[in-house]
Amino acid sequence: MDLAGLNMLAGWTANGDTIMIEQMPIFGGYTGGIEETAISAVATTLGSFALFSGNFHLDGPIHIRWGITTSRETLQIAAHTAAAIDNNTDLLIANQYYPMAGPCTEMCLLETACQAINDTASGRELLSGSAAAKGVVQDKTTGMEARIMGEAARTAAGMKVSDVNEIVDKLVSNYEKNYNDAPEGKTFRECYDVLTVKPTAEYLEVYEKALATLRAAGLDIKH
Amino acid sequence: MVSARAIDVFESFNRFNSGKKVREDTWDYVTVPTNAMIMKEKYDIRFGPGIIPEDEDLIDRLFMAGIDMLVTTGFYNTNLGKVLTVTEDEVFDGLKTAPMKLRLGKGKDRVSCKSRHRTAKSKPIIQGGPTGAPVSEDIFPYMMQSYAQERGVDTLVSGVLNTVNGNPATTNTPWEIRATLAEIRHVREACYTAGRPGMCI
Repeated sequence: MDLAGLNMLAGWTANGDTIMIEQMPIFGGYTGGIEETAISAVATTLGSFALFSGNFHLDGPIHIRWGITTSRETLQIAAHTAAAIDNNTDLLIANQYYPMAGPCTEMCLLETACQAINDTASGRELLSGSAAAKGVVQDKTTGMEARIMGEAARTAAGMKVSDVNEIVDKLVSNYEKNYNDAPEGKTFRECYDVLTVKPTAEYLEVYEKALATLRAAGLDIKH
Repeated sequence: MVSARAIDVFESFNRFNSGKKVREDTWDYVTVPTNAMIMKEKYDIRFGPGIIPEDEDLIDRLFMAGIDMLVTTGFYNTNLGKVLTVTEDEVFDGLKTAPMKLRLGKGKDRVSCKSRHRTAKSKPIIQGGPTGAPVSEDIFPYMMQSYAQERGVDTLVSGVLNTVNGNPATTNTPWEIRATLAEIRHVREACYTAGRPGMCI
């Protein structure tokens, strides 16, 4: 925490605003391994409520090598952190999305859906995303990624954790082999008619294909 | 010991100010990793192959390890170079002040973000948007509309305007302020265009 952060919090607190506090633990960073990163994530999440008057907390465990939240390790950190807080409190916790692949690719949609069901079955209240292409490439995000995030979360809500675990494992195994050669995807202008804000036929086809893969993995998304 | 009252940002500042001085590199390379390793051993935290945990005892031990980590380690202020400390009672008292429910948005576009648990049938709130990814000025409102028009999206999160009036929205410059205000204006415009003017942004 720095003084700029404290000063912003002071203003929002005095004004009675709803305050979201964000923190992204780095797997492979100062905290080291999976378990140590999860322990630190639980500690900082609790601190955001107990010390800084946060109303909800936005997490985002990120992989130091890949720069994504959808890797096996960071999904495991996110799920364990959320479950620990969920089991012991009624705090409002959220997670954010940084998939590796860019828009209009099946991999991007599968990564996003995978994290959405992981977050839903580990007790998170809010899902925020998605910053496709690691959130660093200009104009490579679209509403279609948020659509799959919502559809996957809605379908996973109420499922047994063991069933969701099986699906998550299948999906991660499907896309993690592509990390060295992940599809870059397309820009918003290439994915949508900008004036009518309608997704292209190509993106709708890719979306349908991703839905078929998700259904085959056991996630019964209905239209 | 029962705390006098919950800690807020003002009390946190006072505690930082009167806290122990620690070098930032010591904090990063020694204090945090050492304490995290100690907590891992103390609470026997070892994840199995499952990505989502199903071992209830492990889940609860991880929570206690997190509490202990916060109390043992404290929080670091990078400007002051000092550490805030807090007791376990103060942490639990502080958690009681957090809301279990938030109303987000206005009118018919308002949604309720309520505490839910792992196997709850209620879905999480879906906050759609570029989540801080860079977006060109000329397509910003249209991109935000692509999220606002999705019926599965409940609230919006903004992207980052790359330029404003053609000027780079560089941090710590006046253009950063103008870009921030422009982002809010564009996101609100996208809500109106999608027919969801009361959406939380």
